[in-house]
Amino acid sequence: MYLEGASTGIGTIESFPAVAPTLPEVTCEAISPQRAEVHATWQHWEASRISHHGESCCEVAREWLTATDHTHLGSGSPFTGPRWLRQRFRWGASRFPIHWCEAVRKKTLDCGAHASLAYEVFRFRGVPVLRVQMVQQFSEIAAFQWTNNWNPDNADELPWIDRDLIYHEGCAILTGSDRIKVWDSSAGWWLDPRPSEGYGAMRAIRLSDASINHGEASLKWGMNKLPISQWSLL
Amino acid sequence: MKIYISGLYSGTNPQPGVGIARSVRAAYPDATIIGVEYSNRCSGIHWNDFDEIWLQRPWEEINIEVHAGEIKKVLDSGALWISSIDLEIMWLAKSFPDGHPNLLIPPITALEQVSKPAIPAHDGFPVKISPFISTQVSDWELHAFCREHNWMVWLKGPYYDAVRVRSWAQLVEMRHLLSTAWATEDLFLQAHVSGYEESISLSAYQGELLDCVWMRKRDLTEIGKTWSGDISEVEPELREPLCEIISRIGWTGGAELEMIRDTGDGMWLLEWNPRYPAWIHGATITGRNIPAKLIEAASGVPGQKAASQGNEFTRVVLEIPLRPQYPLSPLPEPFPGEVGHSMKHPSGLLQFAGMLHKDEKSGSKKKTTTSAATPVPDTFIEDLNTFDLASLSTPTRIFLENTAAKGFRDASARAEAASTDTIRVTNAYSIKTDPDERLIRLALESGFYAEAISIPEVRKALDVGFRPDQIVLNGPAKWWQKETLAEHSFFTVFCDSLNELDQAIDRLNSGGLQTEYIGLRIRTPNVVSRFGISIATPDEFNRVIDAVRRIPQTTKLGVHFHMASSNIGIRSWEFLFQSILRWCSSLEALTGRLIEVLDIGGGWFPEDMDGGADEGRLKKAVASIPDLLPHVKQVLCEPGKALAQPSMALAMQILEIRDEEEHVHDVVVDGSIAELPMHFFYPHRILTQNGSDLSWTPLERGKTRLLGRLCMEHDIVASNVELPKSARVGDILVVCDAGAYDRSMSYVFGRG
Ligand SMILES: [Zn+2]
Ligand SMILES: [Zn+2]
Repeated sequence: MYLEGASTGIGTIESFPAVAPTLPEVTCEAISPQRAEVHATWQHWEASRISHHGESCCEVAREWLTATDHTHLGSGSPFTGPRWLRQRFRWGASRFPIHWCEAVRKKTLDCGAHASLAYEVFRFRGVPVLRVQMVQQFSEIAAFQWTNNWNPDNADELPWIDRDLIYHEGCAILTGSDRIKVWDSSAGWWLDPRPSEGYGAMRAIRLSDASINHGEASLKWGMNKLPISQWSLL
Repeated sequence: MKIYISGLYSGTNPQPGVGIARSVRAAYPDATIIGVEYSNRCSGIHWNDFDEIWLQRPWEEINIEVHAGEIKKVLDSGALWISSIDLEIMWLAKSFPDGHPNLLIPPITALEQVSKPAIPAHDGFPVKISPFISTQVSDWELHAFCREHNWMVWLKGPYYDAVRVRSWAQLVEMRHLLSTAWATEDLFLQAHVSGYEESISLSAYQGELLDCVWMRKRDLTEIGKTWSGDISEVEPELREPLCEIISRIGWTGGAELEMIRDTGDGMWLLEWNPRYPAWIHGATITGRNIPAKLIEAASGVPGQKAASQGNEFTRVVLEIPLRPQYPLSPLPEPFPGEVGHSMKHPSGLLQFAGMLHKDEKSGSKKKTTTSAATPVPDTFIEDLNTFDLASLSTPTRIFLENTAAKGFRDASARAEAASTDTIRVTNAYSIKTDPDERLIRLALESGFYAEAISIPEVRKALDVGFRPDQIVLNGPAKWWQKETLAEHSFFTVFCDSLNELDQAIDRLNSGGLQTEYIGLRIRTPNVVSRFGISIATPDEFNRVIDAVRRIPQTTKLGVHFHMASSNIGIRSWEFLFQSILRWCSSLEALTGRLIEVLDIGGGWFPEDMDGGADEGRLKKAVASIPDLLPHVKQVLCEPGKALAQPSMALAMQILEIRDEEEHVHDVVVDGSIAELPMHFFYPHRILTQNGSDLSWTPLERGKTRLLGRLCMEHDIVASNVELPKSARVGDILVVCDAGAYDRSMSYVFGRG
């Protein structure tokens, strides 16, 4: 995730209804201060968006995206993860704002852009979908390498990295009335809801999307009950 | 306590013996564990959890009755026996029909209940079984099965071995290899199920489910074997029916249920193995020692509790020292001119399978091959009976007039039936498929348009009587020999590239091209094809949009889509068709131009166009168009192959019969693959005439090859047929389904 200018990257898009502008304060249960810090750095970040020029250039791009997905899906269930997106767009730094007509022509996209594309594709398939923000744990070595690889000129700290923790995005689809699966669009796989610790483990998650009217205050991901629009610690 | 464990192969496709031994050792540190193997090449014999090794000679060198007696002595002495070799389990179940309390394998009745591919025991278990078909049916039916399942099919042996087959030639080759290896014709084809591999492993004793775990493969080897996995509880909604099944079939021993979870979370049962999986120790290290439960139930001695070390496991490669009494064997030398050491199953399982089959056959006197011939349509016979075949000089192609006429009539009726209030469906005869004038004339008389890919083909259509406005032009070189044709106004011209479209637009603007519709052939993104205009990148798609916007408003717009369903499969075709509709609707939305003609191409296998379950396929496809493309007025359908293929047969004569040991192996005929170039792509039905009553019967499958007259290695007209006993030199064989590309692509060879 590379959030330079992300807050200004929200363009004229009809595909992403704006989420509530003021985010509720995270209500964590009694947890140690150390755990409460996990997502503190990113708690007011919003899921990244791809902007729309409001002209046919971006419309062509979105039609191309969804029609291509239709072809790739073939006989697969609409719940199939769109791995072709990750095959086509490598994971790496993206600059925001980015527009549809630009994004689909890139060779490299970051997880926010990947997640935006996957979100659009699921939405077009008619699958109820939400945006997902996550905090994942890796290692200081991984953070060091990402910092140098994404930002070789001045190895400034990247805003999405905090020691061994990283901010990451994906999307979630509703597979039942209140059950979700979480798609890591940059890895091209479904994340496992079973608790895990260590390298690659998910430490915090936040679902967002105003377009899903499920009537439920929270959704179930494996054994986890996740409230919408709030960070949950795992 | 003494425990015998067989099946110690520890290669890339390992047997579970070593894993079972590790688990048993964890629960019973003081037990004497004896590893049983049938080859000293199985590296598991060197694993240090085995206190002793009972090394037998490979199966082919064993007297299995004596061996059964030795095992009985072992069992009678109080030792337990866990087998992890499927074939050994089957043999032991037969050798001990009343079982033995210390023999920890399922009874033969239970084994029958879990036999592949139907797995009758699964009744009551919430899983599906993927569609399958025995290879003992006719080739014609096997080919249909493969088309139905998009050539995403596996050819499977009776116990082990599964190979993905993607084409007819591959199926024929692999069927031969597998049935030779396993000494049986009893193979089956099963449709592929895509998803995640998960399984249940369990222990049961005399119908009681002792324990079970769920395993999800988290990493796989190149051949799909488990490399890493996680272990969890079997959900109650599965555990309960499983308990009931185990009790119903009276299971004893280990088992593994191999399943696929599809992307919609549906579960499919692939196999029910009568033994533990090779990863079984992976469950033990998560605290679930499944084999120990079996020992406990059989011996009454409780084992030590396993400690959980997390819920995930993985494998690594280890080098270990050998047991000094079993030094390595020499490595076989590569055969001259070959690559590699050609290592076979070291314990001779293939030979063992052969021995078991021989037993079975001598017992039940089962015929090795069943009747596997498909009857041909009545019109074939009617047409054949109008010829005096003896007077023909062979090989010769026979035009089956009634068959052809009926095909065209049916196609017209089908187009009529598929037409709606807003969409007219018209057939177009693809001349290249079979440029026989009789077929082109039938097309004209049946209300078809003519589809041409070159100017010479246009001229031929005009000669037969088509009007220019009944001609559809397609292909990459449609203007070849343009100078030989006067100016005409065509029905539609489909461009194969953007360059061609640009030139066509120029010619339309200058009056150099006259056509009611101009169109483009589209190639969808995931299709590998040399034809059509790519839309695989946003820039390509953009260029298509720009070009379509430039088409003069006076010429109407069409789109051509062509993928042979006989190659990609029926369902794949249907999905690609929907995908094309989706692209067209984007094109309409982004250009503001309306698509009024849709050419849906051809390439159907005759039976996929009509009859049986396929009735209404065209109608259904047409009915789905207006949802996405409400302005389409006409659909062009090109059933060329479907009509032409059955319209001709090839008569050939037997030149020589080579018999060996009372069995005819090879027959030389005067026909050849030069007249049947599609031989590799689909099966052909072959008829033989009875000398006395002159009736025609289709050849069954057998072991005889029909060798073509060409002096070419691969000129084998048929590789597995059974000739009637009365067959003589000079007899005529009629190979059906030899029209279409068999005719148009036939070549002259070896005729002087
Ligand atoms: Zn744009
Ligand atoms: Zn990320």
